Amino acid sequence: MSSQHKDKADINVHIDSVVNKLKRRQISGSYTVAIETCQLLMRVISASRWNHPDQLIDIIAQVGKKLVQAQPREFSSGNIVRRVLSLIRDEMNDDNDVNNGNGGNNNNNNNSNYINNSVNNENQAMISSMFALLTTNENKKNTVSNQQNLQQQKSQVSSASAQLKKNTHTQDFRSIIIQGIKELIDEISSISENIETMSVDLIHDNEVLLTPTPGSKTVFNFLAKARLKRKFTVLVTECFPNETEEAHKFAKKLAAHKIDTVVIPDSTVFAVMSRVGKVIVGARSVFANGGCVTSSGVAAVCECAKEYKTPVFVVAGLYKLSPLYPFDRDSLVEVGNSGKVMEWEDSQLVGNCEVTNPLFDYVVPENIDIYITNVGGFSPSFIYRIVLDNYKAEDVNLE
Amino acid sequence: MSENAGEKVPVSPKASGSEHSTDVKVSTHSSGTEVLPEPKKLSNKELKELKKKEKSAKRAAAKAAAGDNGITGGNTSAGSQNIKHDDHQKNKLQTSSNIKKQLNQTKIKEFKKVPPLFSHLETREQRILATTPQLANIVHPSILSLTLKYSTYNIVGSTPRCRAMLLAFKQVISSYDTPEGTTLSRNLTSHLSHQIEYLKTSRPLSATMGNAIRWLKQEISLISIDVSDKDAKKELCDKIDQFIREKLELAHDLIISNCSVHIQNNSTILTYGNSEVLSKIFEYCHSKENKKFRVIIVDSRPLFEGKKLAKKLCSSGIKCQYVLINALSSILNDVDYIMLGAHAVLSNGRLYSRVGTALIAMSATSRNIPVLVCCESIKFTDKVQLDSVTLNELADGDDLVKIDKKPIKKLGFALDQFLKEKSLEEEKEKLKIQKNSNNNNNNNGSKKITKEQEGEMNFLTKTEPLANWKEISNLNILNIMYDLTPPEYIKKIITEVGSLPPSSVPVILREYKST
Repeated sequence: MSSQHKDKADINVHIDSVVNKLKRRQISGSYTVAIETCQLLMRVISASRWNHPDQLIDIIAQVGKKLVQAQPREFSSGNIVRRVLSLIRDEMNDDNDVNNGNGGNNNNNNNSNYINNSVNNENQAMISSMFALLTTNENKKNTVSNQQNLQQQKSQVSSASAQLKKNTHTQDFRSIIIQGIKELIDEISSISENIETMSVDLIHDNEVLLTPTPGSKTVFNFLAKARLKRKFTVLVTECFPNETEEAHKFAKKLAAHKIDTVVIPDSTVFAVMSRVGKVIVGARSVFANGGCVTSSGVAAVCECAKEYKTPVFVVAGLYKLSPLYPFDRDSLVEVGNSGKVMEWEDSQLVGNCEVTNPLFDYVVPENIDIYITNVGGFSPSFIYRIVLDNYKAEDVNLE
Repeated sequence: MSENAGEKVPVSPKASGSEHSTDVKVSTHSSGTEVLPEPKKLSNKELKELKKKEKSAKRAAAKAAAGDNGITGGNTSAGSQNIKHDDHQKNKLQTSSNIKKQLNQTKIKEFKKVPPLFSHLETREQRILATTPQLANIVHPSILSLTLKYSTYNIVGSTPRCRAMLLAFKQVISSYDTPEGTTLSRNLTSHLSHQIEYLKTSRPLSATMGNAIRWLKQEISLISIDVSDKDAKKELCDKIDQFIREKLELAHDLIISNCSVHIQNNSTILTYGNSEVLSKIFEYCHSKENKKFRVIIVDSRPLFEGKKLAKKLCSSGIKCQYVLINALSSILNDVDYIMLGAHAVLSNGRLYSRVGTALIAMSATSRNIPVLVCCESIKFTDKVQLDSVTLNELADGDDLVKIDKKPIKKLGFALDQFLKEKSLEEEKEKLKIQKNSNNNNNNNGSKKITKEQEGEMNFLTKTEPLANWKEISNLNILNIMYDLTPPEYIKKIITEVGSLPPSSVPVILREYKST
């Protein structure tokens, strides 16, 4: 028992350290945050004690809440937590299927759960596709994923042997979930490979591209891969003041890959837009409505592209998709160090002048033409569907 | 120098080609009557001949450079052909002055590194190469200092530049003596043309300057031959003063009274960069009309002109917010008006202004915020242009290398070149010393030291990732000065002759011409 306590204490320490790192922005950038969250969740799942998957869901939701609060504008941690939760729920569904198929004692449950079922069916009909409309209820009755149902089941199966069976079952469940998270990590780290393969379809020879997000690794990999098949020019905005150094290094790296690269100040975007063939944007997070959050200044670039009817495409891994809806733009945009905009020794200005340095920008879905993800290209209006495929509606709110 | 050339062998044939084309372009540029129709026509034959000679010399120099590359790099047959050509020409041009010139050229010569789309624009080096070195002898000291101030961005903005130029011209005129055999009205224009020619090496003339020069030449030509030089000079100086007062100062006053109605209590005004007339408007509304309003100043790299405006407004107690252009979408929500300054307004209604203006006007228009442009009618020009790429001013790419939130401090061209040469020489000397000391040591030691040196170099370049951008063949930096705002984004243009829509610009221009 003491070892269990120790485990619990250990894991809490670990969670706290990650939370603190997030708060101090020692972990930042959606990729690192996502990977870090995956690893943390794996440890939580293996260390924590639970008898029933519902308890696990609670535990993970709690951890998720902490992570989200630590860096409220970094959505990838919340996304990963939701992905894992949906993984658990899927696994529970499968389990139930198996249980229901085996145990005849479930039959008497069916009546009492009928209402629940019908509610559930409605829910599912909303979520799943039209093809499910004509399937009979027979199937659905069995695919009950309801909490009550499970609790009833639990009360029914009360013999010692069943308990033992369950213990081994939990163990299986645990390893399945951890395996799932490992696959998730694999997916996240191989995202650029999947996105890269689409580059040839999107870029033609001698095209002029513009990228306002030089900090994005995905964009770089995309361009580097495209260069193997196509010759093109890339205009790189400087993203002053927050990412200028990255931008310059990015440009240098592109040039080293034999891509014709031109560094332009942020203000020059309008002047050159008439010559740009496509705008390629790396996103920080993508929302259910098809809008996305990226580095500051990109919204104006996309607006400009829209004005010139230049296609804008956003490259983003699936883990950046968030089931949230961006109701309030200001709540999405983090504000950074204003010392980067104005030097502190400028005494005339520092005291009298309000200086702001937003780090992010929200791009409305109307200004984006296409999203390139590791599962394919989608128009912004279709993003909600991808969100539904990957997340469960009951996890949107982690409370 | 030959080492440098050797490194860039693959680029060299192209470079020599562009040299030819630019040479041709220079001649068309100066005779193509856009800003300055008179100077070329009136310049005497001698000067023209001189220029022709020089051009041929330049070409020869370029070919020689290409030829050298061909030899060192063991390059293509084109190189060897060039050498043959050169031998003929060299024999012809073996005069001492030409050799000197060629030397000068190889010194200044730098490979033009401009993105292909913008290669038609003149670089700073090309501007300086385009002038005749002899010009410096007849250029007035006030023009010399003005040129330096322009090129180091100490005087920026078309109005301040125009004013400074007119004041300098006043000095030129007052210290001018008519040579024997000509009259003031005939000779002064060509004398001024030389000054302008030199002034152009710093930056291309602004529209205001072009208009002012045209007016001044007109005035000079109107002076009758009977008037004594002294009287004529005095008259001209008075006229210049009057011009400055009427076209700039009084125009500003009128614009202020026209525009101040748009600033109301508790309103938020957004502006970009630093416009002289706008800062006057803000100060007037604040101090004379006691209005309480907020100004958002948007700024951008590398000039950070907005900082000057922010300082000015802050010191007079106006509430200011200072942001960079990347924050644009975050601050536009509660803006009542966008007020912009202008560099020029083209006769097709487009606004030619500091790069970034168009972006702001566009964002504002899409949010239904009215965009007002405040400018003097002297900024109207009968040029037409459709996009920002065809005609623009190319600034130095090096200005963007340093990542700094302070405005760039630029050195004059000659000083810049001198420092570069010197640092190169110093490096060479260092290497020599190192080599000598290494020779004394054993081989292993020498390798270590060179590695350390490389590390040091890396460390130096680390602070500025693009420090050696000119050596990376695929990398370019684009630093243009202006962009073109379409008339659809502009609600009205406020001038001293009233407020008008962009479509009415040619009407005003016509009125001016008829008077």
